[in-house]
Amino acid sequence: MTVQECYEQIGGDYNEIMSRLRTEERIRKFAGMFLKEQSYNTLVQTLKDRNQEEAFRAAHTLKGVCQNLSFTALFKSSYDITEALREGDMEKADKLLEKVTEDYQRTLEGVKALIG
Amino acid sequence: MARDTILIVDDAELNREMIKFIFEEQYNVLEAEDGQQAIDLINERGEDLCLIFLDLLMPKKSGLDVLHFMNLNSYIKYIPVIMITGESTDESDEKAYEYGASDIIYKPFAPNVVMRRAKNIMELFEYRINIEQELDERTRELRDSRRKLEQSNDFLVNALSSVVEFRSLESGEHIHRVKYFTKLFLKYLREFYPKYNITKESAALIVNAAALHDLGKIAIPDSILLKPGRLTAEEFEEMKKHTIYGCELLEKFKQEDNEFYRYCYDICRYHHERYDGRGYPDRLKGDEIPIWAQVVSIVDVYDALVSERVYKSPYDVEEAARMIKDGECGIFSPEMLDCFELAKAELFAATENKFSFADSIEA
Repeated sequence: MTVQECYEQIGGDYNEIMSRLRTEERIRKFAGMFLKEQSYNTLVQTLKDRNQEEAFRAAHTLKGVCQNLSFTALFKSSYDITEALREGDMEKADKLLEKVTEDYQRTLEGVKALIG
Repeated sequence: MARDTILIVDDAELNREMIKFIFEEQYNVLEAEDGQQAIDLINERGEDLCLIFLDLLMPKKSGLDVLHFMNLNSYIKYIPVIMITGESTDESDEKAYEYGASDIIYKPFAPNVVMRRAKNIMELFEYRINIEQELDERTRELRDSRRKLEQSNDFLVNALSSVVEFRSLESGEHIHRVKYFTKLFLKYLREFYPKYNITKESAALIVNAAALHDLGKIAIPDSILLKPGRLTAEEFEEMKKHTIYGCELLEKFKQEDNEFYRYCYDICRYHHERYDGRGYPDRLKGDEIPIWAQVVSIVDVYDALVSERVYKSPYDVEEAARMIKDGECGIFSPEMLDCFELAKAELFAATENKFSFADSIEA
């Protein structure tokens, strides 16, 4: 799978990441690091624990990472849940988590396929 | 040692890596995953750091906490901080700048732009730190050479005044006492009579100039200067001329607009004038007599009274004070008599304890 195919599959912005990081090798390296990124798991756990502060921070971190990697789809859904948590709306956050999870799974699969 | 280390503070490893790869070829890179780790590393390696990338929202201590710490400990003056943030709000930007951040970079960032901005900021800081160090060094050099100059100046003034003493066969302590008493008088004059506008610097010059008050005695013949008994009227007229001779000597080295020269000249010439206009050589009256000459005049009279001379034994300090107050040994302004009252205890103590003047003169 090419980097471009991967970004198309996961709803990322290939042109933007290419203009910033310049080489596919670099994109592969950083995208690969996403597999180690724990903020999604932390978000799920802290939401379950009703720990709003920690959940907010986890969502915020996830959002920042996606921003840096131009994972646009997951960035958008993690942005929405970050804002809900910033306002302290846990119920809204619970609902938004479904979309985040869907985008996260798709992104994870795409990146795994890319790294091979 | 040159600063060559960059600290990257972000709770997401991936974000740290994305900055790290930009710099790791040219710099040492340290990483911290929360504000507390950052503070610990700054404490430990502050001397080596040339730049900090700082995330705002982190566990334990936030980015603002780190900035606050850096302000409290003055690190912010030497280590530039670039904030990294996902969302830009005017409020948080304002706050970051207010806390001393040098720049703000927004996610997602392009590595080459980050590199350019970081280099600009590091150059600016390095330049400023160098300028400050150079300035410190220059200031220290200037202070050192000024101190040396003052020391040689003191040495020369003391040497010159002891020539006069040596010739008059005086003990050598008279000049030290006059300097010390002048210093005491000026202390009270500055405190209670600010209208004379005598600064600390001027006071130090006046004290030195006081040492030269009898410079003109060098030109008085031995037959008069060293005469054991009372002087005849004619001899006294010649003796009075030491005020003029002193000035003639000084005029050979006249320095226009030099404060120290003016004090030396005025003190040599006017330290025998009287407030009522019946002194010599110019019969100046009241405030026509420069205040520094008035000071040296009264302390010179006091010291003469309480010292032993070939033609008289010393007066008791209380008696000397009474004679000065009652106008038996010259007429002084009310301000001078007031300063005398204020300084009396210290004058007496110095006279009676044979105070070690050589040690007390240092400003």
